[in-house]
Amino acid sequence: MSSGNLAREEQKLAYKLLIPAFLILITIAVYPLGQVFYTSFTDKTFATGREASFIGLENYKTLLSVTIKELPPVVDENTGEQKIGEDGQPVFERPIRVLPRRPELYRPVFEFSFFSNRFVVGAINPDFLTAVWNTIIFTVFSVFFETLIGLGIALVVNSEFKGRGAMRAVMLVPWAVITVVSARMWEWMFEPTRTGFFNMIFERMGVGDGNFSFLTTTELQLPSLIAVDVWKTTPFMALLILAGLQLIPNELYEAARVDGANKVKQFFSITLPLLKPSLAVALVFRTLDALRVFDIFQVLLSQKRYSMASYNYFQLIQARKMGLASAVGVIIFIVIFIFAVTYIKMLGVDTDE
Amino acid sequence: MSRESADLIKKTLFYLVLLVIVFYLLFPFYWAVNSSLKTEPQLSMTPATFVPRDPETGNLDFHFGNYKQVFSDAQFMRGLVNSTIVATCTTFLALLAGSFAAFALGKLRFKGKQPSLYIILAMTMFPQVTVLTGLYAVINTLNMGARLSMIITYLLFTLPFTTWVLTSFFSELPIEIMQSAQVDGATPFQTFRMILLPLTAPALVTTGLLSFIQAWNEYLFALTFTAIDVKARTVPVAIQLFSGEFARQEPFGAIMAAAVIVTIPIVVLVLVFQKKIVAGLTAGAVKG
Amino acid sequence: MRKSLVLALLLSMILVVSGSVFAEKAEITIAGGSVGQELELTKEAAQMYMEEHPDVKVNVLDTPDLATDRLGLYLQFLEAESPKVDVYQVDVIWPGDLAEHFLDLYNYGAKDMVDDHFQAIVENNTVDGRLVAMPWFTDAGLLYYRQDLLDKYGYDVPQTWQEFERTAKAIQEGERAAGNQDFYGYVWQGDAYEGLTCNALEFIYSNGGGTIVSPDKKITINNEKAIEAIDMASDWVGYISPPGVTGLAEESARKIWEAGNAAFMRNWPYAYPLGNVEGSAIKGKYDVAPLPAGDSGKSAATLGGWNLAVSKYSEHPEVAADFALFMAGPKVQKLRAVKGSFNPTIKSLYQDEEVLEASPFFGSLYEVFTNAVARPSTATAPRYNEVSRLFFQAVHSVLTDEMEARTAIEYLELDLVDLLGYEIGEPRQP
Repeated sequence: MSSGNLAREEQKLAYKLLIPAFLILITIAVYPLGQVFYTSFTDKTFATGREASFIGLENYKTLLSVTIKELPPVVDENTGEQKIGEDGQPVFERPIRVLPRRPELYRPVFEFSFFSNRFVVGAINPDFLTAVWNTIIFTVFSVFFETLIGLGIALVVNSEFKGRGAMRAVMLVPWAVITVVSARMWEWMFEPTRTGFFNMIFERMGVGDGNFSFLTTTELQLPSLIAVDVWKTTPFMALLILAGLQLIPNELYEAARVDGANKVKQFFSITLPLLKPSLAVALVFRTLDALRVFDIFQVLLSQKRYSMASYNYFQLIQARKMGLASAVGVIIFIVIFIFAVTYIKMLGVDTDE
Repeated sequence: MSRESADLIKKTLFYLVLLVIVFYLLFPFYWAVNSSLKTEPQLSMTPATFVPRDPETGNLDFHFGNYKQVFSDAQFMRGLVNSTIVATCTTFLALLAGSFAAFALGKLRFKGKQPSLYIILAMTMFPQVTVLTGLYAVINTLNMGARLSMIITYLLFTLPFTTWVLTSFFSELPIEIMQSAQVDGATPFQTFRMILLPLTAPALVTTGLLSFIQAWNEYLFALTFTAIDVKARTVPVAIQLFSGEFARQEPFGAIMAAAVIVTIPIVVLVLVFQKKIVAGLTAGAVKG
Repeated sequence: MRKSLVLALLLSMILVVSGSVFAEKAEITIAGGSVGQELELTKEAAQMYMEEHPDVKVNVLDTPDLATDRLGLYLQFLEAESPKVDVYQVDVIWPGDLAEHFLDLYNYGAKDMVDDHFQAIVENNTVDGRLVAMPWFTDAGLLYYRQDLLDKYGYDVPQTWQEFERTAKAIQEGERAAGNQDFYGYVWQGDAYEGLTCNALEFIYSNGGGTIVSPDKKITINNEKAIEAIDMASDWVGYISPPGVTGLAEESARKIWEAGNAAFMRNWPYAYPLGNVEGSAIKGKYDVAPLPAGDSGKSAATLGGWNLAVSKYSEHPEVAADFALFMAGPKVQKLRAVKGSFNPTIKSLYQDEEVLEASPFFGSLYEVFTNAVARPSTATAPRYNEVSRLFFQAVHSVLTDEMEARTAIEYLELDLVDLLGYEIGEPRQP
């Protein structure tokens, strides 16, 4: 057989092997995904007989429009100087007086100072922009900690010791607790009184008076959620990394030991490089899940603070803005795509030769 | 310091680290167990107690009423069966289609490899709620039963996962193994079945386990697809439909009891598969 | 000539419909509450109906108790125009939003029945002259108070918010001094969700601040009385209510209350029997009263509850409508009131001895139930959910000190004008 023939055979086999996956994909994915893309360009209302009309990029414009306006200082009429507030800070005009109202109402997202001038960033849809921000912060921190702790656990479990089998089962427990229930479980531990575990233990340790409101205090919300997610999904990371570790041939370590490389050196010269592909895949799926995070935001923060997906959910179910919700879906899609491609390129695990 | 005492310190430290890990992983679950053994008045005690205690006297006071309620809930027991069927079938299909695809993507040369990978990943890049309406329409058109609907639609997130993970593992394996097999006259498919699959058994088991749990935990699709077909409801739906005696009352203790009951079979499953993982490892060691 | 033709057509249609109905066993499905006793009672009532109508089979479908989950599920059915569910149990705030999917029950004999029911609910369920849902059971916000503590500190049940604040503070300080560091004066629903809309509507409306949007479609929220009431509530946080009250919903508030850690609680009637279970710290020590009044001089309770609507995609609309009317009728409502303490929507049942024996406060609080104030769901349909979200987020931002009440309400007004396109008007007084 000529090599060209062989290559053609290989190619044919590859396509044949891909048939089942693509068949499934065509049956269940093409229509729903296509529908989301299409709907995102319309003003469709969910569950209504009214005809939807095509509105182009209007939904995207609503979601992403941002403006920056300077806040003029408030002048004291008696002195002609800028007013000083009770807190000793100079007083500026309220954003509501400055931000445009027509054709769309812009609401403040945040304010910042620059050379003693005060600016406000406004958006038509501040909830969505903060949802994007929340989700990205959530993703970066939770994926970082999950990878770190997951790697640590995997390395520990990968060594020989008694009770390793039981340990592997223990590892799975957080991941196995049904997601909707685990969110409720944590909500219960976060109760703002001493019926909640954290308030009880903090108070006992002399921190606070048992009245921390973890889920309504702005500074505590995201850290609490990140803690929940890290607990819940570290096992996912650990198991994938563990499986990757087990594929590394022992001979490599033996050879390194003969060469006198210590454990740390072995880790950086053998383990980490060889772990790259499995780590990359684990990271891709973790990040993808974190960017779509829904359950814990819905249960723990509901409408106090949104993730992209929970914003999407409430827009669809409560406001029934299916067009807008689809546009949110597409934006999530794009963000995830960017993350996925970046990982693959950064970690250099492109499978194309 | 003698070598032995150094070893001892090392060992102690190691087990200490292990203990910390076990505590971290299990404590929240312990809190669920603790809560599941409490009655409603016990649950609302301040400060919360580490073990169920009587609100008046402070003596140990365990209650199994929550477990009784869960076990007498026919829908929940049926849910266990449904969840097992659905998660097993989905995992099996995802592993089957996924390992085929992964073999092609990880080990064979062909045009359009990278696009295929990304297209498969794209299946799972939308939030579930966005695609739900479209999926529901597909299911109504194809007139699939509730269980089949769940099995098929769960592939939306399990298939990309298995495909990608297995692809990375397959591409890890040295190319020489395949070449030597080809020299021996094996077809690529035989190479796949006889050499690659056994070698990657641990990866297969891990991937299978992770996607099994993912399917097992899914709620939103299941709620919608089984809304009419009550008999097909899975565990998460059954738990969400748990109810107190009166409207609005949340039977928190029973929910925790159900969480405990549902988690245990999975742990047992892992312990059973343990042997497989080990077997897969040694098999790989012999052949590699 | 034309009239008689229409009549003939109608007659023949009815014949065809009823013919097809009686030819085979008609099967209808009712989607409703999942809660243990609630579900059992629905099944029992369905059984009663089937005994009276042997040619009909009724399936009872349980749906999630969480209102958002349930709504999400219903929307999927309605989007798919599914004939699989015939009768929907709908929240009192949904009829306006979902009206287009439901049949006008006036065409199915509801006209003779509605006069027996509470006027406010019937009005709420009437959209453009069509009765899209039949009142089934009602709910209203109540003030739960600890009789033993009022006696201990020598106070009466407070009638105004000022009295109320003083009483709550005094009891809280007394109990804390006596060693209960977890004790608070007042727990209510301050989390950012529909429950806060209900709570806020009560203190705003009782203060003369109106109902956000008035029934004649004017945006009324931006007024001094409303701002004053919101400021008052925001002062409660950390003062007579736990700082975490901004995260409390019905169940979390009830847990604090039942542990004996609160002097007052705002909640729905469901909490009444639950506090008297064995082992409860407050067994026999509490009672319910109307919520305190503000500047309007009147107390206000938000109208809650559930109704029955018939899907227009039903294959047996006649049977389904007849079943819905049966379920909402006096026989079933009495059964549910006696066995499950569900508040009837039929006025005469509040004088029924068996009903009163089961739930004594039905009688003493009759006024609260009949005068309950509806959320502006019909006036803002089909955008009520969004109105409510904007409203509770605005109030919540004040409770958590992110915004001044004035600014939050100003934004809310602008948002509502944009969303609804209504004019600005004066609040309606109780």
